Amino acid sequence: MNYLYCAFIELLAKYNFPEGLALIIFPLLPFCIVAIGLLVMVLFLVLAERKILGFVTQRKGPNRVGYWGLLQTVADAFKLLCKENITPSGADKFLFTLAPVIAFIPVMLVWGILPYNAEFNLMSTPANLIFYIFLAFMPVLGIFLGGFASNSKYSIIGCVRAIAQAISYELPIAFSLLGVVVLSSSLNLSQITLSQYSVYGPAKWFIIPSFIGFVVVFISVIAELNRCPFDLPEAESELVAGYSTEYSGMRFALFYITEYSMMFANAAFIVVLFLGGYLSPFGGYLSNILWGDSITANILVYFEQTFWFLFKTFIILFLFILIRATYPRLQSHKLLKLSWTILLPLSIVNLFICMLIKFIGGAAG
Amino acid sequence: MKFLKQIKALLEGVFIVFKHLFKKSVTLQYPEERPVVPEKFRGGHTLNGCIGCGICRKVCPCDAITIENEGKNVTSYKINLRKCMFCGNCQYYCPVSAIKLGKKFELATAFEEELQVELVNDSNKSKEDNK
Amino acid sequence: MMKGWSGMSKMKLNLGPQHPSTHGVLRLILDVDGEKILGCEPVIGYLHRGMEKMAEGMTYLQYLPTVDRVDYVSGFFNSFAYVSAVEKLLKIEVPERASIIRVLLMELNRIASHLLWLGTYLLDLGAVSPFFYTFRERELILNYFEKISGQRLMYNYFVFGGVRQDIEYIEEIRPIITTVVEKLEDYEKLLTDNPIFISRTKNVGILERGEALAYSITGPNLRASNSHLDFRTQSGLYKNFEYKIAKAEDGDCYSRYKVRLEEIRESANIINQAVDLLLCKPGDVNIGLNPVNITPEAGEAYADVETPRGLTTCCVKSDGSANPYRVKWRTGSFYAVQILPKLLIGNMISDIMSIYGSLDVMLPEVDR
Repeated sequence: MNYLYCAFIELLAKYNFPEGLALIIFPLLPFCIVAIGLLVMVLFLVLAERKILGFVTQRKGPNRVGYWGLLQTVADAFKLLCKENITPSGADKFLFTLAPVIAFIPVMLVWGILPYNAEFNLMSTPANLIFYIFLAFMPVLGIFLGGFASNSKYSIIGCVRAIAQAISYELPIAFSLLGVVVLSSSLNLSQITLSQYSVYGPAKWFIIPSFIGFVVVFISVIAELNRCPFDLPEAESELVAGYSTEYSGMRFALFYITEYSMMFANAAFIVVLFLGGYLSPFGGYLSNILWGDSITANILVYFEQTFWFLFKTFIILFLFILIRATYPRLQSHKLLKLSWTILLPLSIVNLFICMLIKFIGGAAG
Repeated sequence: MKFLKQIKALLEGVFIVFKHLFKKSVTLQYPEERPVVPEKFRGGHTLNGCIGCGICRKVCPCDAITIENEGKNVTSYKINLRKCMFCGNCQYYCPVSAIKLGKKFELATAFEEELQVELVNDSNKSKEDNK
Repeated sequence: MMKGWSGMSKMKLNLGPQHPSTHGVLRLILDVDGEKILGCEPVIGYLHRGMEKMAEGMTYLQYLPTVDRVDYVSGFFNSFAYVSAVEKLLKIEVPERASIIRVLLMELNRIASHLLWLGTYLLDLGAVSPFFYTFRERELILNYFEKISGQRLMYNYFVFGGVRQDIEYIEEIRPIITTVVEKLEDYEKLLTDNPIFISRTKNVGILERGEALAYSITGPNLRASNSHLDFRTQSGLYKNFEYKIAKAEDGDCYSRYKVRLEEIRESANIINQAVDLLLCKPGDVNIGLNPVNITPEAGEAYADVETPRGLTTCCVKSDGSANPYRVKWRTGSFYAVQILPKLLIGNMISDIMSIYGSLDVMLPEVDR
C-alpha cells in the first residue's frame, strides 16, 4: 500500500503482534491522531492567540502556569471542567445541552477531510470539497440552537446575528470556491492540492490566478468564524457574550473548542485551496534532495509535507490573530452590506476570471 | 481610488500593530519586580513625636483617627485603615510633622482586626511592621 | 410612529447596570425591535455617593480631598472648581506661579483623561490593541502625578490659595509630552483613515448644534457640533496662553473623536508654554493660609472649569460656620447621559456603544 503502512506492519511484527491486528488498527490510527491533534492544537492556538495579543500590545501574555505559560490553557480547560453547568430557568434543557455538541461534532469531521499530506487524508471522497462546505456551516447551527434555547435576550440577538452572518458569507465563499474548482477541474481536496504542483514551487498555486478569490475567502472565513472584526454574535461590548452568555462549564468549553478548531480548519482550508496545501514552496521536497530516493526519504516526505501544511496554516492563523488585534468591529447591517454588495460581486468576477484563465490555458495546452 | 486608499489604511493598521510585536514589554511582573515608589507616596502611616494636639483628627475627612492622650503624652493613636482614604491631610497639617504617610502600599488584608492599626509614638515603625 | 423592520412587537432589553461596556454602572432600558432601537431610558444613580450632602457635615478642608472623587479620571479639575469657589468665598488671590502650575497639571490631566477615553472607546468598538497603547502613554502622566502629589488619581494637591508645594521634576514633563504627541500619530494611522472605524463613527449619532445647546451639552461634545464654546477662553486662568480651540463641524461620533485628538495636541501646546513660564518665573506657590479653621463669611461663590467632559461648576454656599451650608456640583457627563435617548432612537444596537462611548460619559461624575 505505502511505506508508512509497511513500516507499521514491520513494527508490529517485531513485537509479535498478528498481522490481522495491524489491519484493524491501521485505519483507526489516523482518527485517533486527528482527535488528539485537535485538542492539542486548540490548546496551542488559544495560548498562541493570547501570547501574540500580549506581544503586540507590549505585554507578556500568560506566563505563570508552566514554563513560559505553556500550561495556561490546560489550567483554564481544567477550571472549566470543574465548573458547574448552569442551565438558566426557562431554557429548553434538551436543546441547551445539545447545542454545544451539535457545534462540536462537525468540527471533528472537518478535521478528517483535510489532506495533511499525500497519504494522511481520511475522507478522500471524490467531492469532499462540498462535504467540507456543508460541515463548516454546521457549527452555526449549534450556535443558533444554543442562543435560541438559552432564554436570554442577549443570546437571541447574538444567534440571530450569527445566522444572518453565516447565510450572507456562505455565498461569497461558495462562488470563490467555484473558481478553484474550475481551475483544478476537481472537487477533491487532494486533487486540488496536486493540481497546484509545479517544479517552480508557488508558480501554479491558485492564489495567483484567483487572488480576488483568496481575499474574498479570507474575509468571509473570518466572518464565518465570528472573529474580530466580524465577531458580532458574541460582541462582548454590545451583547455581553452573545450566544454563549448563559453557557458555563464544559458546555462553554465545547463552544470554545469549536471556535478555535474551526479557526484552524478554515485556515488549513484556505491553504489547501490557494496556497498549495502540503506542497513544498521550493518545488521539490527537501528530504528528497537530501536523501535521494531512499526509503527514509520517502517516509520523511510525509512529515515534510505535513510540516509545510502546518507552516502555511500558521501564517494564515497569525494573520487572523493580527487582524483581531487591530480592527474595531463592524456594525451588523454594514457587515451584511459588505457581503452582498462587495464580496459577492467580487467573487463572481473572480469566477469569470478563473474560467477565462482555464479556457485560455486549455486552448493553449 | 478611494477603495485603494481604504485598503492602504487597513494594511497600515495591521503593520503598526505588527511593529509592536518586536517591542519590549512594559509589564511589571509585580510580586517579583517591585514598583519604584516615589518619595511623596501616601501609603501606610508612621508616627514620630506626636504631641497629641488632635489636628490630624480634625482634618481627617473620614474620622479614621482616634487619639487618647493626657496632655502631650499620647497613650494610644489608632488609625482605622478601613476608613482611611490616604488623602494625606493629617500629614500635611500636622504642626510637628509627626504623622507621615510612608511608602508601604501592600495594606490589603483578609482580617478586619488588622485594619485597626495602632501607631506607636516615638518610633519610625508601627506595631504592624514589628510583627 | 417608528416602525421596526419586522413589524413585530417590541422587546425590552435591559442594558446594564452590570454591562461590560457601560463604564461603570449606567442602566439603559431599551425598547428594541430586532436590532433597531425604538425607545431608550437611561437610569442613573447606581454610583451615587452623596458628594453634595456629605459636604454639609464636613469642614471646608475635610471636603477638599474628597472632591477628586467626583470624577476620578480628572481629579485636578474638580479640585480646581472647589478650591477656586472657596477662594472666592474667602476673597483671596492666588499667586501667579500657582495658577500656572494649576493650568499645567490640569492640561496634563486632560491629556490623561482623553487618552483613557480613546482607549476605552476603541475597546467598546472592538479593537483591542489601542486600549493598551493609550494606557501605556497615560501611565507616563500618572506616574508623574504620583511623583509630585503622592497618588495617581486622588491628588489632593490644590489647596486654598495655591498649590501644596512647588512643582518638582519639571524637566520630566517635556519628554512625556513629546512621547504622547508622537504616539498620537500612531493612533491616527491606526484609526483616522480606517474604513471600519469610519463606518462605525461617521454619520452615527449626529448631534446638531442647537440641540446640543438646548440640552446643555458642553465640552468636546459641543465643540464637535460646530460650536466655539470653550470656557477656558472666559476664565482668567488661561489668559497667558495661546491655543486654538479644537472644533469639528459634523457633530457625529467621528467629529467627537477628531476634536478630542486635536485637544490632546492643544493641551500639549499649552503645557509647553506653561513649562516655559514656570522655568522663568519663580515665586510663591501658595499664600500660606492655614486652612484648618477657615470660616468664610456668609455668602455664595461659584467657580467653573472646562473639564475633558464639559463644564464643571462648583457652587459653594456658606452660612458663616466652619462647614459649607451647601455644595452643588454641575458636571458635563450628567447632561451627556440625558441626550442619549435622543441620539439612540432609530439606531441599531451596535451603535449604542459607538454613540455612548463617543460622548465620554463618566458615571461617577453623573451620579456624584
